[in-house]
Amino acid sequence: MKRRSLLAGAAALAVSAAFAPALAQFTPTQPIELVVHGGPGSGNDVMARQMVTIMEQEKLLPVRVQVANKTGGGSTTAAAYMASKKGDPNTIAIYTVVWVVDPLTQEAAQNRLTDLTPITRLVTEPALAVVKADSPYKTMGDFLKVAKDKPGTLKQSGGSITSRDNIVRQLLMKQTGGNWAFISFPGGGERIAALLGGHVDLMIMDPSEAGEQVKAGKLRVIAQIGDSRLDAFKDVATLTEQGFKIPDVPQTRGIVGPPGMPADAVAYYEGVLDKLRQTAGWKKFLAESQLQNVNEKSVQTRTFLTAYEEQLRGILKEAGAKVVR
Amino acid sequence: MDIADGLLHGFYVALQPTNIFWCFVGCLLGTVVGILPGLGPAATISLLLPLTFSMDPAGGVIMMAGIYYGAKYGGSTTSILLNIPGESSSVVTCLDGYQMARKGRAGAALGIAAIASFVAGTVGIVLLTLVAPPVAAFALRFSSPEYFALMVLGLALVVLLSGPSLIKGLLALLVGLWLTSIGTDIFTAQARFIFGQAPLLGGIEFMVVAIGVFALAEVMANIDGGEESQMLPVPRGLRNLLPTWEDLKACRFAFLNGSVVGFLIGVLPGAGGTIASFISYGLEKAVSRHPEKFGTGVPEGVAAPEGANNADTGGALVPLLTLGIPGGSSTAILLAALIIWGIRPGPLMMQESPDVFWGLVASMYIGNVMLLVLNLPLVPLFAQLLRLPTYILHPFIFGISIVGVYGVTGRLFDTALLAGFGLLGYIMTKLKYPTAPLILGFVLGDSMERALRQSLMMSQGDLTMLVQRPISAVMLALAALVLILPLLSYFNRARVRALAGG
Repeated sequence: MKRRSLLAGAAALAVSAAFAPALAQFTPTQPIELVVHGGPGSGNDVMARQMVTIMEQEKLLPVRVQVANKTGGGSTTAAAYMASKKGDPNTIAIYTVVWVVDPLTQEAAQNRLTDLTPITRLVTEPALAVVKADSPYKTMGDFLKVAKDKPGTLKQSGGSITSRDNIVRQLLMKQTGGNWAFISFPGGGERIAALLGGHVDLMIMDPSEAGEQVKAGKLRVIAQIGDSRLDAFKDVATLTEQGFKIPDVPQTRGIVGPPGMPADAVAYYEGVLDKLRQTAGWKKFLAESQLQNVNEKSVQTRTFLTAYEEQLRGILKEAGAKVVR
Repeated sequence: MDIADGLLHGFYVALQPTNIFWCFVGCLLGTVVGILPGLGPAATISLLLPLTFSMDPAGGVIMMAGIYYGAKYGGSTTSILLNIPGESSSVVTCLDGYQMARKGRAGAALGIAAIASFVAGTVGIVLLTLVAPPVAAFALRFSSPEYFALMVLGLALVVLLSGPSLIKGLLALLVGLWLTSIGTDIFTAQARFIFGQAPLLGGIEFMVVAIGVFALAEVMANIDGGEESQMLPVPRGLRNLLPTWEDLKACRFAFLNGSVVGFLIGVLPGAGGTIASFISYGLEKAVSRHPEKFGTGVPEGVAAPEGANNADTGGALVPLLTLGIPGGSSTAILLAALIIWGIRPGPLMMQESPDVFWGLVASMYIGNVMLLVLNLPLVPLFAQLLRLPTYILHPFIFGISIVGVYGVTGRLFDTALLAGFGLLGYIMTKLKYPTAPLILGFVLGDSMERALRQSLMMSQGDLTMLVQRPISAVMLALAALVLILPLLSYFNRARVRALAGG
């Protein structure tokens, strides 16, 4: 037993010695900082802490990981912090679509996500179009028909006008010629309360938010926003299936490093995150939060984000937001 | 399962030795977190979340909730002793609490705060136990027009918070309204008044303003007033450090007012404990026989907002547990925690997870008793803090303020802002401008503007919507009453004087 592990150790040494000159292997020797742009308790903060817990339980890293909340100005403070850590292999951050949108709409947000070093895309967040259970609209078609016949009378609750909720609305209005109001609420709770109270007619919502309300008979799903049906809502047709084909605008989250992060460090984190994806804990977290796994390496992620930024720029302009970059 | 059975089952769960232990841990941590400015309950729950994944859900949520309501007990301590609001919801406690401390009644103020917290906290839980589902249905009738009316009612309180000069109070209010509009506007995604400063994109953190204009300004004014060597009076003897029977009698109505106002406003997902404490304080002053004494250190000025702030907890759990809707950051993270444990708060929670639902409710009765027992003995201890000579106390307050603000935001930029607000508060104090209206405007302005714009979007620009909806019409009428009554009494006094003269 002992001899065998010794042998294996020797073999590993020999292998690493053979490869060492070809590619410098990065291994962290000091604690890693995981930057989050949301405050404690925000969706990303919870995800970050979940990641850290799993990484520690499964010993995926030889060092500790500390979550750092760099809040302020949406993603702006966090992105500026990452930019200031140029070349540092010990700092990574969780990005979301907000990191793409902020530099497009805010003069003061100077650090674009593609200026940093994207490492991977981790998840996409599916969404559902939801109405109150006693609403007359059974399908997206019903809703869109009224939106066209009586423009401006229907209302949708959602977040900022740069959020996906509004982007989907813009795309649907453009395609069908209908028109309805988009009412911004900063808190997710207020948005659902407005729908449950019958003050608005439609909301685009996370499946995890909608699930319990649908089960209790308070809300009804009239369409799925993504390309394919979710397991938990098998009998609800997607927008495309209902004949409304709009460009896919996935809500996505992933990991990014500072500008100029060394290639070996990028490869190292790619590997660690691949291992994370395999863990039971991570799979359970995704299932419970109704998030969908994405496998993308650094190069593909950069390609995706570049194209995504271009797509968003066009959509935001149409949505009436001022695009500064 | 009806309420009695449910509660009985809940006590069975909550009285398990391990759950009593977790409840105690939560309350203790909450108290500590509440006392330390800069470490809020949301941040603490978030930090501890990973540790609780392996715990039994009932025990975990009992502990997390303990941190949440425990922090509200502790929040008043620094408000009263040092004029530093530990949490945003204890800003109003500063108004009379700190003045009591200056008169040597710090112990009494701390005691009143603890008792009001206990009474109102317990009433809040009783109401949560008995009327959660109907109250949740009522809360859903509140939408933007009603929130707008509520905020207007809150702003009308400026006449009660202004002190001698209403004009100065209104000016301070306007500054508060302007400050709160700084940052990114959610409706247009455009930045307002940020002067090219990226850190301002998200707006100014409430604690930065509150600690600046209250704590720092007070210290500067004290130094300036030549009080360097003067210590605040702290009476000797345990009896003099506790509230008197007269204090408690004066607070009778405040306990009730705080409980009911706090619970009702807590139920609304778009309001929160800070607004509840302002409205409760305003109400207390409006019905008081000696409104002119408010702001000089009256016990009911401490009891009403502290009570409201604690009854708010029971209220905030109503939409969280029965609708799955979080109203603030602390309840949002409780929701996240419950989901990670595989429990979905919402209309079905009472049936699907009775252990967790009723266990949590029952544990809060126990937790409130624990907090009272934990906090009352600390009162004389904390009151001793004011025995420190001012050359130690003043730098100490400066230190806590700066660390507290940095702890909330983690940005040096905000400590610079803090200094700016300290200076602003100092200038206002020197020129006899009241600072409370500024805070009032800052707290309410943002929500009020948003609610108005949402209402107008809902009604396609029709303002009459605000008076057509009954709840909002009633609240707007109340606001008008609050504004007009002082005028009437002014004219009345003038008339009486004229008659007497004639």
